[in-house]
Amino acid sequence: MVSKESCRNEIRAAIRQLSDRCLYSAAKWAGEQLVGIEQDPSNFTPSNTRFQRGSSSIRRRFSTISTPQPSAGFSQPPATPLPQEEDEVIDGDLYLLAKSYFDCREYRRASHVLRDQMSNKSLFLRCYALYLAGEKRKEEEMIELEGPLGKSDAINRELVSLERELSALKRTGAIDSFGLYLYGVVLKEKGNETLARASLVESVNSYPWNWSAWSELQSLCTSIEILNSLNLNSHWMKEFFLGSAYQELRMHSESLAKYEYLQGIFSFSNYIQAQTAKAQYSLREFDQVEIMFEDLLRNDPYRVEDMDLYSNVLYAKEACAALSYLAHKVFLTDKYRPESCCIVGNYYSLKGQHEKAVMYFRRALKLNKKYLSAWTLMGHEYVEMKNTSAAVDAYRRAVDVNPCDYRAWYGLGQAYEMMGMPFYALHYFRKSIFFLPNDSRLWIAMAKCYQSEQLHMLEEAIKCYKRAVNCGDTEGIALNQLAKLHQKLGRNEEAAFYFEKDLERMDAEGLEGPNMFEALVFLATHLKTNKKFDEAEVYCTRLLDYSGPEKEKAKSLLRGIRMAQTDFPSMDMEHFPL
Amino acid sequence: MAGLTRTAGAFAVTPHKISVCILLQLYAPSAQMSLPFPFSSISQHNRLGLYLLSLTKSCDDIFEPKLEDLINQLREVGEDMDAWLTDHLTNRFSSLTSPDDLLNFFNDMRGILGSLDSGAAQDDQIILDPNSNLGMFVRRCILAFNLLSFEGVCHLFTSIEVYCREAHSSSAQYDESNDNLESLIQHDQMDMEKYIMDKATEEIELQKNASGRVPFHLHTPEALFKVTEGLLVTRKEKSRTNTKKAEATQLACASSSTVDDTLVDESLFLRTNYQIQGFLMEQADAIETHGSSLSSSSIESFLQKLQNLAPELHRVHFLRYLNKLHSDDYFAALENLLRYFDYSAGTEGFDLVLPSTGCSMYGRYEIALLCLGMMHFRFGHPNLALEVLTEAVRVSQQHSNDTCLAYTLAAMSNLLSEMGIASTTSVLGSSYSPVTSTASLLSVQQRVYILLKESLRRADTLKLRRLVASNHLAMAKFELMHVQRPLLSFGPKASVRHKTCPVSVCKEIRLGAHLLSDFSAESSTMTIDGSLSSVWLKDLQKPWGQPVFSQESGSRKSSTFFQFCDHLVSIPGSVSQIIGASYLLRATSWELYGSAPMARMNTLVYAALFGDSSSSSDAELAYLKLIQHLALYKGYKDAFAALKIAEEKFLTVSKSKILLLKLQLLHEHALHRGNLKLAQRMCNELGGLASTTMGVDMELKVEASLREARTLLAAKQYSQAANVAHSLFCTCHKFNLQIEKASVLLLLAEIHKKSGNAVLGLPYALASISFCQSFNLDLLKASATLTLAELWLGLGSNHAKRALDLLHGAFPMILGHGGLELRARAYIFEANCYLSDPSFSVSTDSDTVLDSLRQASEELQALEYHELAAEAFYLMAMVYDKVGQLEEREEAATLFKMHITALENPQDEEPNMA
Repeated sequence: MVSKESCRNEIRAAIRQLSDRCLYSAAKWAGEQLVGIEQDPSNFTPSNTRFQRGSSSIRRRFSTISTPQPSAGFSQPPATPLPQEEDEVIDGDLYLLAKSYFDCREYRRASHVLRDQMSNKSLFLRCYALYLAGEKRKEEEMIELEGPLGKSDAINRELVSLERELSALKRTGAIDSFGLYLYGVVLKEKGNETLARASLVESVNSYPWNWSAWSELQSLCTSIEILNSLNLNSHWMKEFFLGSAYQELRMHSESLAKYEYLQGIFSFSNYIQAQTAKAQYSLREFDQVEIMFEDLLRNDPYRVEDMDLYSNVLYAKEACAALSYLAHKVFLTDKYRPESCCIVGNYYSLKGQHEKAVMYFRRALKLNKKYLSAWTLMGHEYVEMKNTSAAVDAYRRAVDVNPCDYRAWYGLGQAYEMMGMPFYALHYFRKSIFFLPNDSRLWIAMAKCYQSEQLHMLEEAIKCYKRAVNCGDTEGIALNQLAKLHQKLGRNEEAAFYFEKDLERMDAEGLEGPNMFEALVFLATHLKTNKKFDEAEVYCTRLLDYSGPEKEKAKSLLRGIRMAQTDFPSMDMEHFPL
Repeated sequence: MAGLTRTAGAFAVTPHKISVCILLQLYAPSAQMSLPFPFSSISQHNRLGLYLLSLTKSCDDIFEPKLEDLINQLREVGEDMDAWLTDHLTNRFSSLTSPDDLLNFFNDMRGILGSLDSGAAQDDQIILDPNSNLGMFVRRCILAFNLLSFEGVCHLFTSIEVYCREAHSSSAQYDESNDNLESLIQHDQMDMEKYIMDKATEEIELQKNASGRVPFHLHTPEALFKVTEGLLVTRKEKSRTNTKKAEATQLACASSSTVDDTLVDESLFLRTNYQIQGFLMEQADAIETHGSSLSSSSIESFLQKLQNLAPELHRVHFLRYLNKLHSDDYFAALENLLRYFDYSAGTEGFDLVLPSTGCSMYGRYEIALLCLGMMHFRFGHPNLALEVLTEAVRVSQQHSNDTCLAYTLAAMSNLLSEMGIASTTSVLGSSYSPVTSTASLLSVQQRVYILLKESLRRADTLKLRRLVASNHLAMAKFELMHVQRPLLSFGPKASVRHKTCPVSVCKEIRLGAHLLSDFSAESSTMTIDGSLSSVWLKDLQKPWGQPVFSQESGSRKSSTFFQFCDHLVSIPGSVSQIIGASYLLRATSWELYGSAPMARMNTLVYAALFGDSSSSSDAELAYLKLIQHLALYKGYKDAFAALKIAEEKFLTVSKSKILLLKLQLLHEHALHRGNLKLAQRMCNELGGLASTTMGVDMELKVEASLREARTLLAAKQYSQAANVAHSLFCTCHKFNLQIEKASVLLLLAEIHKKSGNAVLGLPYALASISFCQSFNLDLLKASATLTLAELWLGLGSNHAKRALDLLHGAFPMILGHGGLELRARAYIFEANCYLSDPSFSVSTDSDTVLDSLRQASEELQALEYHELAAEAFYLMAMVYDKVGQLEEREEAATLFKMHITALENPQDEEPNMA
C-alpha cells in the first residue's frame, strides 16, 4: 500500500497543475480526495480525527489548506514522477491573461491570446479553450436548429481542426499527457473509440492524477473484456478507476471491494462514501445506504451529486418528511441541476401528485437528455397515470440511453402487460431478467404474465416461480402461487409441499392472513385424505384459533378426523343433514 | 426562434432554393434591374421557364441537387448561353458576402412579382403572376426568409458558403479537363447506373425464402408481405411507377455519398417531416421489392445518419427493421421492431390511415403484434407467430380496431395455410369466440377458411380494397387446393360428396382483380409528397440528360409534360403486385386443372406485364413455372439451360424454391435415365428441405415420399414402393390433403401394374379417376385413364379393344395438354394395343403403329427416357421385322441396343448438374 503522505503530496501538486490548466473538475475531485486522506495522528489530537464512519461529523478535520504547505521537496513516487513545471517566465504573462479569460468563460479570446505560444502548457490551454468554445457553440446551435424531428446535426465545429493539430503533435511526440487527454476526448467525440481509448490510456499512464481522463476512459469501457484489455500502469488512481468501472458494469461486489481498499487511505473521502452507497443501493441495502447518505449530508450539506439516489432510498422507504426536507435543501442549493429536479419529482410522486412529478422529471431531462433514472422514473409516473403509451416511450428512451437498465425493461414489460399484451410483455421481462437474473421480483412478474388468463401457460409460470423462490423471494408471493398452481393442476403432493413451506415462512415472519388460512385448510384436508390424521389435527387446531368460516371448516374437519380415527364408517353430518 | 422552428417544419429556405430564385430573376428580370436580356429566341426563354417550373416542382423532394448538378443541368438547358447563366449564378452567389446581402436579395425578389391587380406593368417586362406556380414559389421563399430569425439567417448564410465551396472544389477539377472528360464522366455514370439497374433487375427476382411445394406453386410469404405492406407502408397511396429501380439507384448513390462526406451534406437534411416520411416510405418499398439485393449495410449507414439527424423520426427504426428482416438478422429485426412501436405507439405513419379509430391513449400496439407475428412467420417460427397473432386478435378486439383485426385474420389464415400446424388445438387461444368455439373441432383447412371469411367480411365493410383483393386471391387459392365440404357437419352422417369447384376459384380470382378498377378512387385522396416530387426530379433529369438535345424542343416539351401527368395516374405498385399475383394464381389453377397452354400463357402474361413491379418471390415463381413447363414439354436440356439462368438471377438462398425445382428436375431426369442412385439421393435431399415438425410443410413432405415411392418402383422393389405409397395415402388422409390422394392412388395403380398384378391395380386406378373427376383434375384423370387402360390390357389381349377405347377417350386431353412422357406412353400403349389385338394385322396397317411409335420415340429421346424409348424401338423393330423392312429393322434394333445399354450403365455423366 502506498503511504498516505506520498499520496497527499502527489495530490497537492496535481491540484495545482490541474487548476493551472483549467481542468477544474479534475482539480475539484482531487481536492476532495486530498481532504479525504486521514490526517497524520501526530499532528492532531485524537479527538480531532474521525476514525469511524457514522460518528458525528462535527469532528471533521480542519482543512489542510490552512496548514502551511511545503512548497518544494516532496518525495516523488518512482513509477510516475510528477512532471516538472515548465518555465513559466517565458509565456507566463500571456498565459495568465489567457487563463483569466478562460476563467471568465471567454474561450475564444483565451485561445486567441495563446495563438503563437509553443509551450506544452499553453498549447493545451489553447486547444482546450477552443474545444470548449466549440462545445458552447454546439449547444447553442442545437437549440437554434431544433427541428420538428428533434435535434439537428449540430456538431462541434472545432473538432476537425483540433484532431488534425493534435494528431500531428502526437506523431511528432510533442504532446504531453494533458494533450493526450484532450486528443482522447476529441477522438471520442468523433466516434473513434479505439483510438480514443489508446490515447486516454497513454495519458493516464503518464499522468494518473487527472480524474477527468479516467472518467472519459471509464465511459469508453462498455464491457468487462474491454476493461481487462486496457494496459494500465498500477497506481492508486487506477483503483478509483476500477471501482467506478466495475460499478458501471454492474459488478457491485468487486467495486465495493475496491472502495473498501481505498478507504484504508482515503478514509474520509466523500466520494468513496457516495460510491459505496451507490453500490449498496444496487444491492438493495436501503437502510445502510440511508445511514451513509445522512452522514454524507452532515459532512457536506450542500452536496447535490448523488442525492437523487438518496431520494430514491427515501422514496422506497416512504419517508415523506425526509424527502421533502432533502428536496427543499437541494433546491435552495441549486435548483437547475437535474438531480434536484429529480428529487422534487420523487417527492411529488410519493405524494401521489403524478402530473407534477412528471413536470419535474421533464425539467431534469431538459437539463440532461441522457439522464437515465429520470426517464425511468418518468415512465413509472406515466404508468401510475395509466398513460401507458407515454410510459412505454419514456422507458424505451431509458433503454436506449443505457441498454442494461433492467428497471426500464421491467417497466416496459409491465406497461405492455397492463395493456393486455402478456405475450408481447414477456420479451421485455426476459430482457430485464437477463440483466438481473437474481431478482425474485422480476421472476414473479414474468410468472404472472404466463399465468394471465390470456396465456394460461401454467407450466412456464411454475418454472418462473421456482426461480423466484431460489432467488430468495422476500414478499412470499412465489411460494403461495406455486402451491396454488400445483393445487390447480391437481398435484396435491407438490401443493402440500409448497403450502407447508409457505406456512413456515409466514410463521417465521409472524404473518397472518388469508394466505395462512388457505394453507392451513388445504394442508388439513390434504393430510386427512391421506389418512395422516395426527398431522391434520395439528393444522386443524391451529385453525381453531381464528374466527370466521375457517373455524367452522376446521371443526367439521376435526369431526371427520375423529370419525375416521374411531374406524366408523364415514358418516359426516353433511351427508346426513338431519 | 419560434418562427424558425415553424418554418423548418414547413418550407425552409435552402441554398438550392436561392439558386432557383436567382434563375427566376433572370427569367423574369424586374424593371429596376439593368440586366441585358440574354435570350436569343422566345423558345430559349420558354425552355428556361419550363426548366424552372420543374425545378420548383421538385423542391419538395428530400434530396436537393448540389450547385454542381444544377450547373450541369443548366449546361444542357442553356445551350449557347449556358456560360452566361452559370456565370451569373456563381457571381450572384459570390456577391452574397454578408447576411445583409441576403436580406437585400430577397427584397429584390419582391420586384419580379407583379402586383395582384397588375395594372402598371410595362410592355416589355415579363411579370410573374403571383398566383402562378413560379410566383407561388417566390412568395413562399420570401415568406420563409422573412420568418427566419437572425440565427436562422446566419445558418442559411453558412450553408450557402458550403454550397458554393463544394461547387468550386469540383468545378476547379472540372475546368482542368475538358469536355472529353465530361463525356467520360457521363459515360461512367451511365455505366454505373446501368450496372446498378442490371443488378436491381437481376435481384428483383431474388428469392425471399419461401417454403416450396410440389404441384401448386402458390407464392408464399409474398401474399403476407403484401398484407404487411398494405398495412404499414402503402396504405397511404404511393404512385409507385416503373422508376422503382431508378429509386434504388438513387438510394444507393445517396447512401454512398452520405457515407463519404459527413460534414458536407448537412444542409441536405433541413427537410420537412413530411418529405422525410415520404422518402422513407419509398425506401421501405424499395427494400420490400428488391429483397436482400440492396446492400443492407449501405442502407444501414444511411439510416444511422438519418437517425443522428432526426432522432425523433421513429420510422427510421421501422425501416431498419425491414432492412434487417430482409437480410435475415433475427435479433436486430426484433429489436428494431419493438423499438419502433415503443417509440411511436404504432401511430407514427399511420395517422393518415385511421382517423376514426384512433384511441391515441392506448396507442396501436395491436399493429406491433401483427408485425411481430409476421416477422416470426417469416423467420420460420409458426407456433410463436400464431401465439402472437392470437394476442393481436385479442388486443384489436379490445381496442375495436377492426382494420387491424381484418389484417390479422388474413395473416393468420395465411400462416395456417402456408405452414399448417399440427397441434393447433391449444394455439388458437381462448379469446376469439367465433373461431375458438369450434376451433378444436376443425381441421386446419377449415380454420383457414373461417379466418379468411371473417377477414374478408371485415375488409369488405371497412373498404380495405387491397386486403379484399388479396383475400379473394387467398380464397381462390384455398378453393383450388382444398376440397369443399360443409363446415359444420361432423360425425357419421357427414359423408358429403367431396368436390372442388373451379367456378368459385374463377369467381374469386376475378373478384380479386376488381381491385384495379377500384383503387383509383381510393388513391386520389392521398398522394405522398416525397414520393411524387422525387418522380418529378427524375423526369427532369431524364429528358435533359439526353446527349442529343436538338432544336425540335417543342415536341419534347409536350412529351415531358405528359410524363409529368402520367405520374398522377399511375398504378400503385402494391395494386399491380396483387393483380400480378392473380395471374400467377390463374396459371397455377390451370396447371392443376390440366391445361398446359393456359398455364403457360398466364405465366407469360405475368412475366411480361408485371415483371418489373413484382416482388422477387413472385418473379421467381413465374420463372419456376416456365422452367417446369420446359422440362415437361421440351425436355431436360432446355429446362436445365433455363434453370441455369434462373439460378444466376435468384441467388441461392437457404429455402429457395429454385433449389427445390432443381432437385425435382434432377430427380426426374435421373429416374428417366435409370440412374437410380442419383434419384434416391435427390429424393432424400428433397425430403431434407422440409421442416421436421409434425404437420408443417406437408406438401413438401408428401412430394418427397411420392418421389421416394417412384424411385423404389423404378428399382423394381414393388412391395417397398407399395408400402411407402400406402403410408403416404394415410398421411394424406390424416391431413386432409384430398388432391394429393388422387395422385397417390394413381401411383398405387402404377405399382400394381408394374408388378404384374393388374387385378389389384384396377380398383386403385378407378378410385383415382373418380377422385380426379370430382376435383376436376382433367390431366391427372387422363393419365389415370391411361393407366386403367394399361391395366385392362395387362389382364389379357382379349381386353385390348376395351383398352383402346379408353385410351382414345383420353387421347384429346393427353395430346393437347400432356407432357412428353405422358404422350409417349400413350403412343406406345396404342401401338401395344394394336399389336396385341388379334384382329389387327400388322402387315396391312403397319403405318398406324409405326407412326405412333415414331412419335413416341422422338419425344422419349428428347426426354432421355431410356426405358420407354427402348420399348418403343423394340416394338418398332418387331413391326419392321414383320413387314420385312430389314434395313429399318436394323436401325431400330441398334437404337434399342443403345438405349438398353444406356439404361443398364447409368454413368454419372452429369457432373455439371449435380
